[in-house]
Amino acid sequence: MDASNLSIREINSLFTKKELKPSELYSKVFENSANSEAALHAHLTLFEEENIKKAAESDKRFSNGESAGLLDGIPIAIKDNINIKNYKTTCSSKMLSNYTSPYDATVIEKLKEQNTLFTGKTNLDEFAMGSSTENSAFGLTKNPWNTDYVPGGSSGGSAASVGARSSIAALGSDTGGSIRQPASFCGLVGFKPTYGTVSRFGLVAFASSLDQIGPITKTVDDSRIIFSSISGEDSRDATSVINNQLDIPSDNTATIGVIKELMEDGISDEAKNEVNKVVEILKSKGYKVKEISIPIIKLSISIYYLIAPAECSANLARFDGVRYGLRVDGNTSYEMMENTRAEGFGAEVKRRILLGTYALSAGYYDEYYGKALQARKEMIDEFAKTFKDIDYLISPTTPTQAFKSGEKTSNPLEMYMSDLCTIPANLAGLPAISIPTGLSKDQLPLGVQVMSKPLSDNSLLDFSEIIENEVQFDGQPKGWL
Amino acid sequence: MSLKPTIGIETHIELNTNTKMFCRCAVVDTDEPNISLCPTCIGLPGALPVPNKKAIEFITLLALSTGCEITSKGMFHRKNYFYPDLPKNYQISQFDLPVGLNGELEIVIDENKDYIQIERVHMEEDTGKSSHSGSGRIESATSTALDFNRSGVPLVEIVTKPVISSSKQAVAYIEELRQLSIDLNISEGRLEKGNLRFDANISVASEDSTELGTKVEIKNMNSLRSLERAIDYEIERQTKALEEGIEIVQETRHWDENKEITSTMRSKEGSADYRYFSDPDLPNMFLSEEFIKEVETLMPLLPKAQREELMTTGLSLSQSNILSKSDEWIKKLYVKVFDQTKDSVASYNWITGELQGQMRKANIEVLPEWFNDDYLPEIIELIKSDKISFTSAKIILTEILTTNTTPSKVAEQKNLFQENDSEKISEMINQIIQENQDIVDRIKSGEDKLVGFLVGQLMKQSNGSVNPGMAKELLLKELED
Repeated sequence: MDASNLSIREINSLFTKKELKPSELYSKVFENSANSEAALHAHLTLFEEENIKKAAESDKRFSNGESAGLLDGIPIAIKDNINIKNYKTTCSSKMLSNYTSPYDATVIEKLKEQNTLFTGKTNLDEFAMGSSTENSAFGLTKNPWNTDYVPGGSSGGSAASVGARSSIAALGSDTGGSIRQPASFCGLVGFKPTYGTVSRFGLVAFASSLDQIGPITKTVDDSRIIFSSISGEDSRDATSVINNQLDIPSDNTATIGVIKELMEDGISDEAKNEVNKVVEILKSKGYKVKEISIPIIKLSISIYYLIAPAECSANLARFDGVRYGLRVDGNTSYEMMENTRAEGFGAEVKRRILLGTYALSAGYYDEYYGKALQARKEMIDEFAKTFKDIDYLISPTTPTQAFKSGEKTSNPLEMYMSDLCTIPANLAGLPAISIPTGLSKDQLPLGVQVMSKPLSDNSLLDFSEIIENEVQFDGQPKGWL
Repeated sequence: MSLKPTIGIETHIELNTNTKMFCRCAVVDTDEPNISLCPTCIGLPGALPVPNKKAIEFITLLALSTGCEITSKGMFHRKNYFYPDLPKNYQISQFDLPVGLNGELEIVIDENKDYIQIERVHMEEDTGKSSHSGSGRIESATSTALDFNRSGVPLVEIVTKPVISSSKQAVAYIEELRQLSIDLNISEGRLEKGNLRFDANISVASEDSTELGTKVEIKNMNSLRSLERAIDYEIERQTKALEEGIEIVQETRHWDENKEITSTMRSKEGSADYRYFSDPDLPNMFLSEEFIKEVETLMPLLPKAQREELMTTGLSLSQSNILSKSDEWIKKLYVKVFDQTKDSVASYNWITGELQGQMRKANIEVLPEWFNDDYLPEIIELIKSDKISFTSAKIILTEILTTNTTPSKVAEQKNLFQENDSEKISEMINQIIQENQDIVDRIKSGEDKLVGFLVGQLMKQSNGSVNPGMAKELLLKELED
């Protein structure tokens, strides 16, 4: 059995029994990256030197029986929009190609306390804007199942890395599906927690009211372990909430809703079949399953593409060449800022900044951004109403399997549509998870998404684990170990 | 055509909190640049703002003390504009839901009260400081140095309605606001340090017009004197222009302290669209009734109430106003001196006239430790009971300001007790008459003014210890005989 294929709990048990050393696991994981990076380009940077040292320290702790943490010595890949002190945080942008962070994100502090190893920083769509990891200033990432295909995005590097086992698990960030969609494309579990349960301090903001950090893992239990390690109220993030979890049933007394609007046109038969497959299993186990209509979901993409760009137009204003990052000279300060931004940002980032600036402009605010806020509020209310009778909502994670590299790059709108099923959870702040359930006829992974009410993350994970156990998806991309 | 000016004033008050508005960096008062910074106040990627509770308490105090309605569900907005000393290229400010709305401030001009309506009181963060070299302006600077110590310092903006009609009123308003912020202990209130900064919107229109004229904003007034002169200059400029049939352009003008003129900075046509939207990093600012009640308990006696209290001692409105705007120790000293003497005019005159005058002349900033609260009452009492002359009292004051002694000791040592014994005075008069027979003759032949000379001689010879009133009376009597 290859150790890099095991779950966190299995690995920890081997560490504790002294049947495996953290340094041996790290060697294996590093070897996997040596085998896969040239073909996949999951990582932008690898922290080999530091990890050899840290793994040796983990070895010592386990051999002395001193370690208590489940994440001690576990190599985790970090999306390169999360700050790790003294390492580069590039956000896959030319703008930050030379930027080194002087501080740790809260999630990194928490993982460091548990003696987690960081394999390195993973590739993403520039500033997390994209659905294929093709918008990176440092080259695209490939899907480990088939390198003709994209790994999804924007956390494509994180997903590809876990897929190729060049890390045991990974952190991503999810603004409109950026954890769940790549997890689904790469046959993995991707979990976006309730908005506010994981601190955003140190996550480079794309759209502050939607961004949330979460895990991409091989199993639901791995996601649970990471979530419980990185969540919690943070005095440095005013939007963080006390993680008071609601207990809702996960056994067959729970009621399941299938979202009608996400089983209609625009969703492939293959994607629908996966949902139907899971529904049949649940029914057979005695769960009550209903079809639920939430019509406003059809407006998700329109709402999202006003709110997210509006927020990003302000969030990315700080990249001006004045204090850090790229600077392109000009004759005046303003010319310098203009030149820097013209050269530092890629096309998709510029497109969204322009969209957002327009949506907030005098005379257009009410018509665009203001309306989007109103619709978002309505969507939140609709979900709240739905969750009065329904415990879990089920849908495809993505309308289709992974698409080919280059297939949608010239058509941004079509690219945006690939987030149709994942965006509602961000708009409403709900916890949402993608669980791998099967393969398409092209032998590419497919997944289903489950959502539940805010702060029911733990119950959602319990319920997802039941599906995981029933579906028994044990597919794994070949050729990287 | 009779013209009338209308003025509105925007004031920024720098709060004297220990730490900045949205991070926990110390607020520092130093020329050494960039020593109090963190990821948040220099806008590093991933850093987040967390509001300073003390600052919210301070602004609530100010809003309550100006009679504003408190917005219980307030909100922070982002004000978007690019400038090198604004690290995020947006300023966290407030827009349509400021902390306070519709207040009023009582001001005093000579013996009259007036009321200035306040439109809004809102919270924001300060910017850094730019020093442009090569020219004072960013457009033509050869280089710009940036200091971010001030970046993120809490600022309160108070905006009046357009209700001010003269420079005198404007100055009285700023004086009142300054004193209010000092008494509330929310600001040092030091104009020369920029703790209080103000801009004025000035327009001129026909006396009987119901509409305001075209508004011109005046910036860069750094003192009360420049506020007064700039307003007077601008009213005259606009009045003259209108009388000559020249149209006023809506613009921002710069007050030139040296030339004492205003000149065009930028016209409103090219004005920025700030694209305000609610800051997604900062959840709604909810000021509960409980919180407001708690803040109310912190309310000190406001300048207006102080004036009313002082007037009950017998002071006029203008005297009370001057005292209410004096340093705290002066206000306290007045109360103590008045309590003992029950003579408001003498207490007021001795404190605000002689005492402060002598201290200024001798460069004494604080009263010496030995300076007992009883000293001034003692001096006032000695004068009242004719034991010393007013001239002697001044000498005594000078002495006790520099030497650890008491008024009566000084009077004794310097022989300043007044001679009130008419027999003794008559003796001395007789001697003077004998010694100045020629003068006496001239007086008798009609040179009346020479009486003063004889009194002077008498004072000289007695070292000023003779009661001058009595001396003159007795001398005249003697000369008649």
